[in-house]
Amino acid sequence: MSPILEIRGLSKQFGGVAALAGVDLAVEEGEILGVVGPNGSGKTTLFNVVTGVHRPNAGSVSFRGRDITGSAPHAISRAGIGYTFQQAMAFAGLSMLENVQIAGEHVRAGANANTPWPTPQALLDFVGLTALADEKAGVLPFGSLRLLGLALALATQPALLLLDEPAAGLNDRETTALVGLVRQLPGHGITVCVIDHDMKLMQMLCRRLAVLDFGSKIADGPTEAVLADPKVLEVYLGGDL
Amino acid sequence: MSEGSTPQGKHPTHSVAPALRSLVPVLVVLTLIALVPLLSPSNRFLSLAISAGINVIALYGLSVLFGQTGILSMGHAALVGVGAYTAAILARDFGVGFWLALPVAALTSAVFAMIVGIPSLRVGGHHFVIMTFAFGQLLAIVLTNGGDYTGAATGLDMVGPVNLFGADMGDLTRYYLMVVAFVAVAAVASWAIINSSYGRTLRAIRENEKLAASLGINVGRHKIGAFVVSGVFAGISGVLLANFLGHISPTQFASFPSIYLALMVMIGGARLITGPLAGGILVAFLPEVLNLDPVQSRIVYGVCLIAVILLLPDGLIAGIAAFVRKVFTAKSKERQRQENGVVSNPSEARR
Repeated sequence: MSPILEIRGLSKQFGGVAALAGVDLAVEEGEILGVVGPNGSGKTTLFNVVTGVHRPNAGSVSFRGRDITGSAPHAISRAGIGYTFQQAMAFAGLSMLENVQIAGEHVRAGANANTPWPTPQALLDFVGLTALADEKAGVLPFGSLRLLGLALALATQPALLLLDEPAAGLNDRETTALVGLVRQLPGHGITVCVIDHDMKLMQMLCRRLAVLDFGSKIADGPTEAVLADPKVLEVYLGGDL
Repeated sequence: MSEGSTPQGKHPTHSVAPALRSLVPVLVVLTLIALVPLLSPSNRFLSLAISAGINVIALYGLSVLFGQTGILSMGHAALVGVGAYTAAILARDFGVGFWLALPVAALTSAVFAMIVGIPSLRVGGHHFVIMTFAFGQLLAIVLTNGGDYTGAATGLDMVGPVNLFGADMGDLTRYYLMVVAFVAVAAVASWAIINSSYGRTLRAIRENEKLAASLGINVGRHKIGAFVVSGVFAGISGVLLANFLGHISPTQFASFPSIYLALMVMIGGARLITGPLAGGILVAFLPEVLNLDPVQSRIVYGVCLIAVILLLPDGLIAGIAAFVRKVFTAKSKERQRQENGVVSNPSEARR
């Protein structure tokens, strides 16, 4: 089966700096793929290029066989790629329920648009925020805001979900809860790609890892094999590992 | 506002009752305003009130743009001017009357809004403020140098009476009542936008553009759309203005009047349906009530604006509402304490 997301030779320069230097990466349908790497290795740039925030200097991104290189962020979402941000975000002045309702109002002929989808309440229930449904998102504690972010992305009916450091700022209990939720997603037809440098989280979540360093992919394969790779160990020596 | 919305399905239907309640104060106030001619007010009062009402119509458009979408236009008087000049030129060259001029002018102002909006709304907030400001200046220059077609610096006379069901609206009281009716329509239209799912999409953009885009909302197109909608209100306001004044000239639509419109919407409060009405009336009548000359009134407006931005960022009406709520809750707490005191005494006695 062809991969759901295929990144070929992706390059992005900022001034003279190559944030991405020809990255190839394929996300297979139904998996939870982890993209790791130290700070400044190009993880977030990769995320931003795929979600349309930045235009790549070279290379292509195709989603379900369709070229989506350089599409606008809203078009990426409508095509069926949901994504959450490193900084937890919500519409602060609106209630949690309204937040999720808005998120579900702009779904177009995206990949999962024709399958029956949970209601906004059901999504809040899924992330465990039903009790706070009528609270304004602006008053939420950080952990709940992260979970709301996940519910918002899920409301767009994605076939592929990109998570950028989804556990940043969460405590251990909240992280465990998040891992439990994300693990369920492939069972609901949602492929997941997680970008993070937290190796403990990635080991819990992913069976396959890709490692970026200085804008290039230096390893890609089963989690155990990647973690035993001398090149990866060298990159992470003194780091998080 | 949509606390009572039913959550089933993808497109929630808003519960009408709580939303309707927000419209009631405006309609009550407008009804009272419509009864003012019974007190046989002076012509000066009626003229001032008509000018204020014409501004309020434009302000309701501005409130969709600024209050809901969070974009500030500093050239809104220019869009009013497009409407006014459209009406005057149509009447002069084609003998087009008031009622046909309305939709044509609304459309023309909307088109101008789109032309200004498409390049400038793609690049973010501050650029838009500058672009709309420049548009206002540019329009004044073009009108001033337009020769006989635009009447140059002298401007144009508005020919032709306004008729409604055969009655001549040239009479000041009748024109006053007609403007009040237009204000009511503008208020209801603005309310309908705010309470639609479109209004909620605009608010989502105001709250967080990046997040809105990630949820499939075409941020750029909706921002341009909100500006175009505000242009429709401005165009209608322009037609009413041209017909009321009987003569229009470029300076009326340059930067200063635009700044005044922005000031009115900020002072009144852009997010609430009562805000534009309050702002328009207040700014029109304040110099009259305080007996200020134009220079003094500009100083007062400036001070008001700074005070509102610092102390009441959501505008006067929201500020007053918050104050009333505070006083009310303090009083009810007081009452509760007293009641508790009354209740606790017998129990103490029993003990």
